[in-house]
Amino acid sequence: MSRFFATGGSDSDSDSSSDEEVVQRPTVPVYTFSDDEEEIKRVVRSTKEKRYEELTNLIKQIRNFKKIKDMSSMLSSFEDLQKAYVKALPVIQKEENGQTPRFYTRCLVELEDFINEMWEDREGRKNLSKNNSKSLASMRQKLRKYVKEFEEDLTKFRANPDMPDDEEDEEKRDPEPDSDSEVPPKATIKTSKPAEGEEGESSSDSDDWPSDSESSSASSEDEDKFQTMRERFLKRNTEKEEDEEKEKKKEERRKERKDREKRRKKEDEEDEEGEWETVKGGMAIPSEKPKMFAKDAEIDLNLVIKKLNEIVAARGKKRTDRREQIELLHELQAVADQHQLGPAVAVKIKFAIISAIFDYNPKVSDAMKPEYWTRLLERMSEMLDMLQNHGDILISESVTEEMERFDEPPYRVRGCVLTSLERLDDEFIKLLKECDPHSNEYVERLKDEAKVSAIIDKVQKHLELHGAQSELCRIYLRKIEHLYYKFDPTVLQQKNGEIKLTVVTSMQEMERLCKYIYAKDGTDRLRTRAILSHIYHHALHDNWFQARDLVLMSHLQETIQHSDPSTQILYNRTMAHLGLCAFRHANIKDAHNCLVDLMMTGKPKELLAQGLLPQRQHERSKEQEKIEKQRQMPFHMHINLELLECVYLVSAMLIEIPYMAAHEFDARRRMISKTFYQQLRSSERQSLVGPPESMREHVVAAAKAMRNGHWGACNNFIINEKMNTKVWDLFYQADAVRAMLTKLIKEETLRTYLFTYSHVYDSISMSTLAEMFELDKSVVHSIISKMIINEELMASLDDPSQTVVMHRSEPSRLQSLALQLADKINNFVDSNERILETKQGNFFLRSANQGAFRGDRQNYRAGNVQDWSRQRRDNRREY
Amino acid sequence: MATRGGPSRRVPENDSTIAYVQADGLAVMKIVKHCHEEAASNMDIAQGALLGLVVDNRLEITNCFPFPKHTDDTMDEEEYQLAMMRRLRRVNVDHFHVGWYQSADVGNFLSLPLLESQYHYQTSIEESVVVIYDSQKSSRGFLTLKAYRLTQQAIEMYKEGEFTPETLLKLKVGFENLFVEVPFVIKNSALTNIMMSELAEMVPEEQGSKFLDLGTASVLEGQLRCLMDRVDELNQEAIKFNRYQQLVSRQQQDKHRWLQKRSQENAARAAKDELPLPEEDVNKLFRPHPVPPRLNPMIIAGQINTYSQHISQFCSQSLAKLYITQALQNAKESKTTI
Repeated sequence: MSRFFATGGSDSDSDSSSDEEVVQRPTVPVYTFSDDEEEIKRVVRSTKEKRYEELTNLIKQIRNFKKIKDMSSMLSSFEDLQKAYVKALPVIQKEENGQTPRFYTRCLVELEDFINEMWEDREGRKNLSKNNSKSLASMRQKLRKYVKEFEEDLTKFRANPDMPDDEEDEEKRDPEPDSDSEVPPKATIKTSKPAEGEEGESSSDSDDWPSDSESSSASSEDEDKFQTMRERFLKRNTEKEEDEEKEKKKEERRKERKDREKRRKKEDEEDEEGEWETVKGGMAIPSEKPKMFAKDAEIDLNLVIKKLNEIVAARGKKRTDRREQIELLHELQAVADQHQLGPAVAVKIKFAIISAIFDYNPKVSDAMKPEYWTRLLERMSEMLDMLQNHGDILISESVTEEMERFDEPPYRVRGCVLTSLERLDDEFIKLLKECDPHSNEYVERLKDEAKVSAIIDKVQKHLELHGAQSELCRIYLRKIEHLYYKFDPTVLQQKNGEIKLTVVTSMQEMERLCKYIYAKDGTDRLRTRAILSHIYHHALHDNWFQARDLVLMSHLQETIQHSDPSTQILYNRTMAHLGLCAFRHANIKDAHNCLVDLMMTGKPKELLAQGLLPQRQHERSKEQEKIEKQRQMPFHMHINLELLECVYLVSAMLIEIPYMAAHEFDARRRMISKTFYQQLRSSERQSLVGPPESMREHVVAAAKAMRNGHWGACNNFIINEKMNTKVWDLFYQADAVRAMLTKLIKEETLRTYLFTYSHVYDSISMSTLAEMFELDKSVVHSIISKMIINEELMASLDDPSQTVVMHRSEPSRLQSLALQLADKINNFVDSNERILETKQGNFFLRSANQGAFRGDRQNYRAGNVQDWSRQRRDNRREY
Repeated sequence: MATRGGPSRRVPENDSTIAYVQADGLAVMKIVKHCHEEAASNMDIAQGALLGLVVDNRLEITNCFPFPKHTDDTMDEEEYQLAMMRRLRRVNVDHFHVGWYQSADVGNFLSLPLLESQYHYQTSIEESVVVIYDSQKSSRGFLTLKAYRLTQQAIEMYKEGEFTPETLLKLKVGFENLFVEVPFVIKNSALTNIMMSELAEMVPEEQGSKFLDLGTASVLEGQLRCLMDRVDELNQEAIKFNRYQQLVSRQQQDKHRWLQKRSQENAARAAKDELPLPEEDVNKLFRPHPVPPRLNPMIIAGQINTYSQHISQFCSQSLAKLYITQALQNAKESKTTI
């Protein structure tokens, strides 16, 4: 293929010659000739012909390169030319009495001119690629040296630009570029194509082949003949350079040649047409065509199946052109349709096409090309439609090759729709991951989601009729996976009674599918995933209690670490949504507990598979990274991380700040949320705290306000324009969430206020508190009562005056510090005593050989009596 | 514990070359200025060199200059010091390097670097002292300048460079005899004294209410917090040492068992007329565990000691104040009732 392109590209002097082409070009002629020589051994040619042909071909190439200014290739060709000339030298000596052949001289002159021109053109030279300019310089030098040898001939040629010869040249030059450029590709095509075909096809095909290869070789022979003819003609030209007498003859010849040129052009055109046709149909068709047409009459079921098997057998082999396979199969399908070989065959062929498209992409990790993807989608839905229309086709893996039946119903076809579907779904996700999620391309691809879902539905229908339970479970799970993350507003409307209960929402659908899986699934994995998706779906639609109960009933949190990564990711996603759901239901503690595991590590992004963290110190190898990349979620399924973090931080704030206020001097105070603490501390460390910008800063500022008991400020920091757009508006019922938040903030700030400032008050009126926090008196009353019952607040309620009377039994700051110090010193004394104990224990355990050391120590003690006497006393007591 | 370290520190060593430190008002003012500037700008400690001369058994500090902060690597510190001294000499200032000063908060000056640099000073210049200026306490109105010198034991200990419990025991070094405090006297010239007394007359007399300002809570709180941190650290060290002890005792047992086994084997071999196996292998088999260095706990203990001293001092002052206030209050009440 590329060969063809490489040579074909050379006649259009486009600048878009890629590197590959440049590399390949010099090799082309070599192949061509070797092929030629191999195949056309029958043609006997003189050495002169051969040598001259070589030379002229090289010259042609150089001319081509000249046109596209490919200096590096030109240089190599020039070197080849030199070598070829040296090879041809004896022949030249013999034939032309040592005269340099005219065409060779011309080439040199042209080349020299061209190089000089190129060299002069400084601007152009600058624009050349590095490689090319280098080659240009070395080419110039080489040419200069080389030309010196031919100086005489050159000057002769230049001085005597033979009028007739020139005319001829001009004439010839006109067509030449075309012919020049066209000849090599044709040769390559003609010669390489059969070779390729032979390579690609299995031996069983060989009976189809001879005719084709014959014809092509004949044509190439033709070409060769022509080339040699022309060479002969050229040579004659050089021979009769100065023979002016024979102008007439020349004219005749010229006519002749013109005719021939015309003829050849015609031929070319014809050839071209033929060829272009084949090209359009892909490389494969020449091999297909003869079969289709030659055996037109005989096409029947077995033949098609045989052919199909042949094509399929080539699958996976190294030399197989995967694209060609797809084309072949399409062709085959067309033939099958034409001859109406029945739906079973069509299904079978479709199957083969689908798997061929799957195979087209050699790398597992990369996504397939969009055009193939659309094709795949089409084929898949076509096949499924067919299956649906013909209910008498049994398609299953259990059908062996021998058992397949295509001729009459009930048909039996080997294959598995489900596997193909799963593969298709995976490819779809891969394709999505490949796209930039912020581009239109992604949206375009995402539109296929509907198609994929439709296909899944079709397969589901099919399997519901034919499939086994395990297969049904699998397809249900696929469906669930396309369903669970989608928010369906009708569910909420139904909950609110706006829609009748009879309407089937995604919730009921999920319920049905999941319950089937719970009941029928034999493998643990499917059930786990189904449960997780179910919980996710519940949480997404605010069914907090159902979601929570499912989590608690499934006991997944205990076993999840043993499951595979993708299930773990799903678990993390589920927990994230459960946390959000709990938050919406004002269950702050639960929300915090759900999210704490995700946020504590500081890499929720990784845990939710929504992107890789930047590589640090080669934490992971290339392989690992590849695997991790495969696990990533497509963008449309992402959970907003900022929302998640904000919800987490806010719930942490609502729990932590009152706790901190209550246990300010507790030595054994523990942090509830490390991440929140870090945020708080980093903000405290700043010498100058500006107004909050980011979401985190907002929360931290709110936390500080809450600590001081300013519920209003706290509320303003949490709920404002910025935070609304960033976070809160992302909730479905944002206003409800905001109202809930305000209420919670008020309550928790009240608690914090009481903890922090209770030591200032002797008594405090509840109505004042209610006013301060804009809460109902009853709410204040209940909060305070709760605090008193939990012994968080040392106070009592005085009912008649509606006040809280403080007992003031809490120690003052200094006192609690002193208590703390006493605690610590106690610990220290403990550990000190332990040191002493081991020392004494050793003291008695010591064996005799350490006596000297002991004596030493005792001496020292004797010298320091007053210090150690007390210890002695202790020792005695121990006795 | 607190009393144990107290007196030994106050009593100067008999064999010490200098009995007390006498500082000029100028030098003191310069130290105070530098330390306060440093404390105000950031929390770094201020350091500087002291210049003066030794007269008999008295060390006179007549001038000082601050060390540059380590902001750039281009400047060589020693070169800077030498250049500074050369220039001061030109303006006829004493250029004998007699020590250095450092700012500190309450008692946290005691640290490894301080110990190290004072060791180097004292080994190169026999008489050098380190002067500690307590900026926090001074800002509350108690000018606190203290001069310290390393004791002979401490210098020896440093020379050995080993801080195992054994060596410390042998050298009889404890936290209480790392440093010895040298009395610090500020001496002004007669002219200055005259001016001061004149100024004192010009300053309006205080009402006396501020003398009774207790300010207990904040100061005590801060000191308690620091003390708690230190106790924690020391506790960590104790636990570390305890672990080490356990390791050693376990190893000792293993060793013992191994030796017994070996001797049994040897007895068996002797019965069979074979050469006994050497018992030296035990040292190869059981490598002694690295002993945790005791210098750090010692320093922490020293710090705790200073904190405790400060707290007790502060508390006794506060108590006295409290009694005075009580008396005053009583007097006031009795006055009003009469």
